[in-house]
Amino acid sequence: MAKEKPQLIIDGKRADGRSMEDLRPIKITAHVLNEAQGSALVEWGNNKILAGVYGPRECIPRHDASPYRAVVRCRYTMAPFCSLEEHGRSGPNRRSHELSKVIREAFENVIISEAYPRTQIDIYMEVLQSDGGTRCAAITAAAVALADAGIPMKDLVCAVAVGKIDGQVAVDFSKDEDNYGESDMPIAIAPRNGDVLLFQMDGNLTREELSNALEMAYRACAKVSALQAAALKAVYDGPKPQASLVLGNKQ
Amino acid sequence: MSKPKVCESYDRRSFKMKNNIVLPGQMVADRPVRLPYCYVEKNKTYASVLSLLSEDGRLVPLCGPYEPMLDDYVVAYVQEVRFSGYNININGAANAYLSGRETAQKLQLGDVIYARINSVDEVKSVELTDARILRGGKLIETDAVKIPRIIGKKNSMIGMISTATGCEIYVGRNGYIWVSEKGNAKLAIETIKMVEAQAHISGLTDRIKAHLDSQKTAPAAN
Repeated sequence: MAKEKPQLIIDGKRADGRSMEDLRPIKITAHVLNEAQGSALVEWGNNKILAGVYGPRECIPRHDASPYRAVVRCRYTMAPFCSLEEHGRSGPNRRSHELSKVIREAFENVIISEAYPRTQIDIYMEVLQSDGGTRCAAITAAAVALADAGIPMKDLVCAVAVGKIDGQVAVDFSKDEDNYGESDMPIAIAPRNGDVLLFQMDGNLTREELSNALEMAYRACAKVSALQAAALKAVYDGPKPQASLVLGNKQ
Repeated sequence: MSKPKVCESYDRRSFKMKNNIVLPGQMVADRPVRLPYCYVEKNKTYASVLSLLSEDGRLVPLCGPYEPMLDDYVVAYVQEVRFSGYNININGAANAYLSGRETAQKLQLGDVIYARINSVDEVKSVELTDARILRGGKLIETDAVKIPRIIGKKNSMIGMISTATGCEIYVGRNGYIWVSEKGNAKLAIETIKMVEAQAHISGLTDRIKAHLDSQKTAPAAN
């Protein structure tokens, strides 16, 4: 990691040329794994995240099963080769445990798990390449994978990070902006009714900045949500089995 | 479970489903309606799975797990032999149980059977009955939601494949299909896979008929 803090905003533009409200280029491909019931690959800037959904299937261990609903399980992991710094072993660590938990809780709100008592639904999210904002990209991928698996859900969850860099509120941070910015706030929402399903924050924001950031997050989530929908429709629509979509930023 | 892949061969112009695809959370009626694959919230009805919205307002799911229903006929296989019965894989969330009393034949591990669902309880435990062994064939996996399309109206699709290939075919509602070895099993399986891949596109029967005819005139591969 560079010792010096780089300049994050140059002439009103961010280091990679985006404006404050621009997302990085996003490409969502649904239905990429054959053996999983549902799957998705999200390429979000330099992030690459693969999500796979298995189930509903027999709950193991048996004593975890509920007679009332399916148990939702999430596993977020970062591959050891996913970033510039050495990550060491890829097994569960404190950070991935936390992310798995918060992502699971976000999805527990939308999955209609009462339809499948005594079963479990597994969601695996593997970060193949990381560049900041992996939890948001992972949630976006997992939501597409769940829909691709045909699991009944109340909504298609989408997520985006907002925050403050060099004193200005902006959306969708890259790694440098995340590391050297003042504040980072990942948010997952249910776009149908605007429910907030995940809300975390590092750093500080004033009240005005927070409300401003929230509005920007909602606008950005609408863009992500449209891409998710298009990716799912493209599985059954396009001449190719899988669909790819690139979000056109005004560049 | 192998998932459908949209074949590249179909004519894009005949495809009118594009706007009919509904996503989880999309409103399908502005009043409360009890429909399969839907849920009601604040007097509005929303879709809960990725599906096609038909003209009469019903949802036809495009993907999803098999949900066992009473009196479904399933193709399944023995996964475990127990003291008084068998645990049967029916491609569902949990194994079904077949009591030894329900079958005259003695089953062995891995036997493929054709059976009827005798009961499904509130926690989705499934019991089977009327089981018979299917010997000397191939078991293929398809998506359970595509089975009505594979069978066709009054067995039209599967009957056509069966007569054209000379295969005996058993279709389970759970997505497993058994194809006998006698006859052109290779063509039958290929055709079933084609139906599965194009199940959501209209004009399917004609295309499958054309495919079978073209294969019939060509010399058989084996």
